[in-house]
Amino acid sequence: MAPRLFQAAFGALAAAWLLAAAPAVAQASEQAVKAAFIPKFTRYVEFPPAMQPGTGQPYYLCIIGRDPFGQQIDRAAASETVDGHAVAVRRFADTSPAAVAGCHIAFVAGADDRATVAMLITLRRQPTLTITDARSGKARGMIHFALVEGRVRFNIDNMDAAQRGVGISSRLLALAVQVKQ
Amino acid sequence: MRTRWCVSLLLPLTAIPAPAWANDEQQQNLSSLSIEELAQLPVRSASKAEEPLSAAPTALYVITAEDLARANGTSLPEVLRLAPNLHVEKLSATQTSIAARGFAGFETSNKLLVLIDGRSIYSTLHSGVFWELHSPLLEDLQQIEVISGPGGTLYGPNAVNGVINILSKDAADTQGALVRGTASANERTAGARYGFKLGDAGAVRVYANYFDREDTPTATGFGPALDESIRGWQAGFRADLGDDASHVTLQGDVFDNDTFIIPGEGNHGYNLLGRWSRDVSGNASVQFQGYYDYYQRRSLLTTDRLETADFEGQLNWRTGSHSLVGGIGIRTTRDEFINDLNAFQLDPRRDRLWIANGFVQDKFALSTRVSVIAGVKLEGSSFTGLEVLPNLRFAWQPNDRTLFWTSVSRAVRTPSRIDRNLTEPTFLAKAPDFASENLVAVEAGYRGQPGRNTTLSVSLYFNRYEKLRAVAFIGSPFPLQLNNDLEGDEYGVEAWGTQQLTPWWRVSAGATVLKRDFGVRPGGTDIGGAASIGRDPGYNLSLRSQVTLPQGITFDAGLRAVDSLPNPHRDGYVEADARLGWRVSDAVELYVVGDNLLHASHVESNDVQRTALIERNISLGARLRF
Repeated sequence: MAPRLFQAAFGALAAAWLLAAAPAVAQASEQAVKAAFIPKFTRYVEFPPAMQPGTGQPYYLCIIGRDPFGQQIDRAAASETVDGHAVAVRRFADTSPAAVAGCHIAFVAGADDRATVAMLITLRRQPTLTITDARSGKARGMIHFALVEGRVRFNIDNMDAAQRGVGISSRLLALAVQVKQ
Repeated sequence: MRTRWCVSLLLPLTAIPAPAWANDEQQQNLSSLSIEELAQLPVRSASKAEEPLSAAPTALYVITAEDLARANGTSLPEVLRLAPNLHVEKLSATQTSIAARGFAGFETSNKLLVLIDGRSIYSTLHSGVFWELHSPLLEDLQQIEVISGPGGTLYGPNAVNGVINILSKDAADTQGALVRGTASANERTAGARYGFKLGDAGAVRVYANYFDREDTPTATGFGPALDESIRGWQAGFRADLGDDASHVTLQGDVFDNDTFIIPGEGNHGYNLLGRWSRDVSGNASVQFQGYYDYYQRRSLLTTDRLETADFEGQLNWRTGSHSLVGGIGIRTTRDEFINDLNAFQLDPRRDRLWIANGFVQDKFALSTRVSVIAGVKLEGSSFTGLEVLPNLRFAWQPNDRTLFWTSVSRAVRTPSRIDRNLTEPTFLAKAPDFASENLVAVEAGYRGQPGRNTTLSVSLYFNRYEKLRAVAFIGSPFPLQLNNDLEGDEYGVEAWGTQQLTPWWRVSAGATVLKRDFGVRPGGTDIGGAASIGRDPGYNLSLRSQVTLPQGITFDAGLRAVDSLPNPHRDGYVEADARLGWRVSDAVELYVVGDNLLHASHVESNDVQRTALIERNISLGARLRF
């Protein structure tokens, strides 16, 4: 076919599509949903009194190691307020104790499972709600994300949380695929 | 699936706010949902096998979608200038030479493997790439991975000096409509895409891309005064179905363009590709891919047709501290080359070639910090026997921000049709014994984040080439015949880095330095002046600044310096480019782009047959999304 004719035909076709179709809403991405979940966990967790933020202080949400969320989690955290406290995102390459001491919630993803476990062990010194993702590896924090039937779900290790003094609300436990008591 | 390198992890600390378009709004919506609602939301899963770029034990540079969104270029070869480990020479409006680690030149840059969504695009005619045959919508690209060096075991045939792996976005990530237009004195482009959902777990996009590039003026002392303008379009679709556990992709393109050196000439072609990946268990996955590709080029009274059918299968398996990958690929091409310009012909004029490869690679973690990657690839074509191409790599990560790597590998370029079958009744005899060109490469590199806001990659390489193409008299004196009598050493350094100066200002720099020492092998002959090794600049330097301001304003500027070329001499040059972008609203983005701002024109190649003047150019552009 003559290219000119083809061009004209295609142009007409494209225009028809543009007119006919309403803007489609993109299905949420897995990571975007996780990024929306994580700041919300703050509401459903009770920290020991010593760990609770002072007046005007935020809850610290730490991304330790690899960051699969980027700006998504910053935006999600910015829209979250828990009892008058904001949620502030901090990122750390590793778990050097001084740096992560203030983390209320920590999403942990090391270079591999062993690195993640090492980070989780360091965080066990303090009452931090640790979160991991099946996508990053097998190492599990108190909350471990997994994709179940095309939905973002999680497992909860309530025993570990209780030992660290982190109380997880029944509303969150009810959503878990599995709870380790 | 080959590992997809995930660049967003490299600079997590103060990443540039991405031009996020719909993402902002989407995240707001998600955040307004309750945890119960979130837990019930069907999601599209993230692409698998993503690994942080910081762990890649190879000289890899990734051009991200964000880089592409604010790049000056409107064509694939132009945006490849963003990769500091590539040397891009624009010869004219139509022709570009792209090389990694040497062999620059239109006919000599024949040692790269270039893949578009798994489809190989180098030509079996001469093992090079005809860049003017590929015009994907740049807005739909996910990323471009550029490996300099042999690329290891995982990539297919012709991955000798580098691999350019161009990946388009999942159709689910290109929903809605996009329209783009640019205009300048030298070029007009227009593009449109529309993406829509297909049931619960599927998505489709269709696109069309149009370009009209004016002739580049003839350079003094170079090139005949030909009309090098080109005008054409490419259109296509991509459909993605399923999730990570079982994912099907079907995509295809069709293109047609007109060239004007001889009226009525031009190129057209089409392709169709299907890919299916499936998790067999938690630790294993398989992928199958097949494609068909056809094109016809008509240029300067020659007609070149190539038909390709390709099938690949791959298995990934993790067990304990081992990550195994194995695969096979088989490709058959049927070509035809008709020359009405002069007496050079391919004999046979039409031929079918078979190219097959198989590979297995194991990544073995000796400890959390040290891993060994050992692989072997077998590669053969109907021109050659089986070649054994081993690859051994060590990676040491003393901490999460530092990687040292080293490798030794062997690679070959199997003969092209021209290498073996080109003939002319008086002057050139066929070369039925032309063998594969060989490379043994030793590399070492560092990649890491030496500071909180700094990334750096440095790689060193030493390449030993043997059996490179040469030409000798075999009669008295004619005919000539191509042979494998050139050999030599090459070594160099490639370095690039990024410094996030403030949350809104990022600067990056790149440099490559190359030294070469080639000659005729003992007892061999070459009367061609080592033409096949190309003509490379000794250095390439680049500096780039990216400023992201409030109110959706971005300002990008780049400076590049390229060393002179010898034989024939072409001056070194320094050129600058800049782009000012303004995202007026979520739906509207306007930009003004300046290319080659420092001089009215310059010359990038020393190819006397093809080189034209590359001019200063200012263009206006707009993107609309709805």
